[in-house]
Amino acid sequence: MKKFFNTSLMMALVSITTVCFTACSKNDDNKEDVDTKDTTKPVILTTGTEANVVNPINCQVYHRGDTIHFFYAFEDDTELGSFNLEVHDNSDHHSHSTESDDHEGGECRHDHEGEEHEHDASERHWVYNQSFEIPAGQKHYEARVDIPIPNDVAEGDYHFMIRLTDRAGWMQLKALAIVIEE
Amino acid sequence: MCASEPSDTTIAIQNVEVTGMAHRQQQMKTSQNSVQVGKDYLETNFSGSLMQTLQGIPGVKAMSIGSGLSKPTIRGLGFNRMAVTEDGVKHEGQQWGDDHGLEIDQFAVDRAEVVKGPAALLYGSDAIGGVLNLFTNHIPTEKLEGAVQLFGRTNNEQLGLSARIGGRYGRFFYRAHVTYSDYSDYRVPTDSIKYYSYWIRLKDGRLRNTAGRERDGSVMLGYAGYNFHTDVRISDSYSKSGFFANAHGLEVRLSGIDYDRSRRDIDLPYQWVNHLKVLSHSSWTDDRLSLELNLAYQNNLREELSEPVSHGYMPKPDNSLERRFNKHTASGQLQLRYELTDQHSLSAGVSSEYQHNRRSGWGFIIPDFETLSMGAYVFDRFAISEQLAVNAGVRYDHVRTSIHSYHDWFKTPVGADSVFKERSADLKRNFNSLTWSAGINWLTGDWVLKANVGKSFRVPIPKELGADGVNYHIFRYERGNSALDPEESYQMDMGISWSHKGWSVQLDPYVNYFPNYIYLNPTSSFVEGLQLYHYTQAKVLRFGFEAELSYELNRHWKGLLKGEYLYAEQMSGPKKGYALPFSTPWSADAEVTYSHTWLGRGFALLNFHLVGRQNAIVPPENPTDGYWTLNLSLGQHFDWKKVGEIKVALHADNLLNKRYYDHTSYYRLIDVPEPGRNFSLMVGLEF
Repeated sequence: MKKFFNTSLMMALVSITTVCFTACSKNDDNKEDVDTKDTTKPVILTTGTEANVVNPINCQVYHRGDTIHFFYAFEDDTELGSFNLEVHDNSDHHSHSTESDDHEGGECRHDHEGEEHEHDASERHWVYNQSFEIPAGQKHYEARVDIPIPNDVAEGDYHFMIRLTDRAGWMQLKALAIVIEE
Repeated sequence: MCASEPSDTTIAIQNVEVTGMAHRQQQMKTSQNSVQVGKDYLETNFSGSLMQTLQGIPGVKAMSIGSGLSKPTIRGLGFNRMAVTEDGVKHEGQQWGDDHGLEIDQFAVDRAEVVKGPAALLYGSDAIGGVLNLFTNHIPTEKLEGAVQLFGRTNNEQLGLSARIGGRYGRFFYRAHVTYSDYSDYRVPTDSIKYYSYWIRLKDGRLRNTAGRERDGSVMLGYAGYNFHTDVRISDSYSKSGFFANAHGLEVRLSGIDYDRSRRDIDLPYQWVNHLKVLSHSSWTDDRLSLELNLAYQNNLREELSEPVSHGYMPKPDNSLERRFNKHTASGQLQLRYELTDQHSLSAGVSSEYQHNRRSGWGFIIPDFETLSMGAYVFDRFAISEQLAVNAGVRYDHVRTSIHSYHDWFKTPVGADSVFKERSADLKRNFNSLTWSAGINWLTGDWVLKANVGKSFRVPIPKELGADGVNYHIFRYERGNSALDPEESYQMDMGISWSHKGWSVQLDPYVNYFPNYIYLNPTSSFVEGLQLYHYTQAKVLRFGFEAELSYELNRHWKGLLKGEYLYAEQMSGPKKGYALPFSTPWSADAEVTYSHTWLGRGFALLNFHLVGRQNAIVPPENPTDGYWTLNLSLGQHFDWKKVGEIKVALHADNLLNKRYYDHTSYYRLIDVPEPGRNFSLMVGLEF
């Protein structure tokens, strides 16, 4: 009798555990249906009508004194947040290392055959870093920014970084390589 | 019913040799859920690192970064939300950091105890999730005894040696330990990693520059009398390890360093850390009274070095010292236990700790600070009968934190001007906290029931109060919040165990509520080109359980099923409805053990580990797929007459070399899968 009692108790415990497991998993499933919280990153569009005219594109060549007419379209399923554009020097990072192979945004290899964009120490590396708020409530936004390239910056390889957030705090990043010539 | 003593009634990790009456007494000692892990278990289940060995305990996880390093979490809480102690003294490193290990010589550990649930009463701030107690103070019994252990791992080609020696002369004893280990870059079952728009190709599936080495040493001298005991232990732990070269810094950069030249060398970026500890422990015990005094000094010195690069308005620094932290900690505890009557056992204690932290290097993440904390507690245990005991306690803490201002070493244009920007302002804060707990143990028939309710707390750390800078490891800008309140946590937990004729069941459910969980919230704003993460406080509800069912068919065969589940949700604030970062997914294990007595004694254990998919995410996490792995452990003791004992432990992880991601791993964010198949071997000679 005692044995029976104990076995029953044990079975009861196991059942509780099982029920708990099931209940918990069910809970998860329900959550997914009901949930309205944003669980996806915003998108920097590279396809579609706008994508045909985006600017700059990878390995684009500019001259000192030019203006970069930045144009990209952003999208988010809930609400866009803000974006940041940043340009920094990339001349001291040689491309002959085998350890990283960026399919975009790393190095423009063709530029490096036989020549290195070594900077003169006296020249000033161009640093550009600006953030822009996207007006509230937007799911689609076309960003246009004119970025003048100063006349006195060093020529060479630069990285052009596009960073985009949505209201929930998800971030998307796109790294482009650009070249500034004389 | 009483004729057959229940055997293992705790969360029985097999081979933990605590059985019968002694075990029941152990169970009645405390109402908290605690798991004792002995030396024998640690040695015969060696799986690379202490934390990896302890991961077999339901509710305990090793949060890994790289192959040689991992940090413990208990019920999903880690870093400053749990405490690690060595011989009763809280280990003080840079716990907030997510990219370095424990800085303790795991081979010097005689036994470990995992306390699940809040333990604020004894340890004050931080012990919210639980405590990992490590003990290195076993007193030698012979004039001369010792051990030599050789160990290795295949995945990262680790090789190590540990030796210990000790002896007892009358009432005096000594112990000494040395450990050295060296490992190369670890392997993952993939040939490339995709991170944002970058595609990183790996050579031979190795994570570049994750090699490292470690050397530890300790000496202990002591006196063990009938009533009086005192010992002093000096230990030093040094480790140096590389950071994964392709994902460190502000962005994926190309470097002139030829990382693929050697897989054993450590290039930039790397870190080294040295932890020096002096512990003194004294006690006086008689029939009714016991007094205990712990005094400790710790120095944690850590440097991170990387190739200098210019970023934003910061020019290229002229050296590679990115960060240096030098933290001194002095602490003392005095505890008293008095058997008031046969039923009442009263404990009381006072403790104090002083921390002094200084930084340098060209990267700023935490300010200089000093912290002084003082606490006092009183605790009573009332044994109503041999089968029923209740306990209750209360503790008060006062903490003063003083943070120093920090200015950039370079100028940033502000309007038409150019200034050394202030990253952290002078700040003085006082925190007070009243915590309490109550619990019950009830032993009836084959059942042991435990229940606890309690409040615990955590004082905000200087990083949370005063950080204002780029976190170079993880590509984000982190900003502290000087107005943060002490984080408080209320928890209710239970331990239900039943054992009868080889069957044993354990169920540990818990509910945990934080009215003001400190959370690093990713915002939609940018600061200096990086996404701003801002410390905020939110209501958080967590609940879960661990369950275990084992059956001992006979003295050879044993089967075990275990599992754990944890749910966490932010109930307020900007991420209301989201989970917490690094939420542990559910998991279950099925194990079969065969024990034998051929050539001494030994066992073979086959483990099937199943982990569920984690959809409960918060930016910037991705959902992580579920996975399963097959693991094998073999342990064997050989008696070597007149000399001692030889122990061999072989452990195989991920036998099928599966490619999977661990949602709680630091490297999950950069899409690095977990290590592939690995064999660990340890051979030890004990004399």
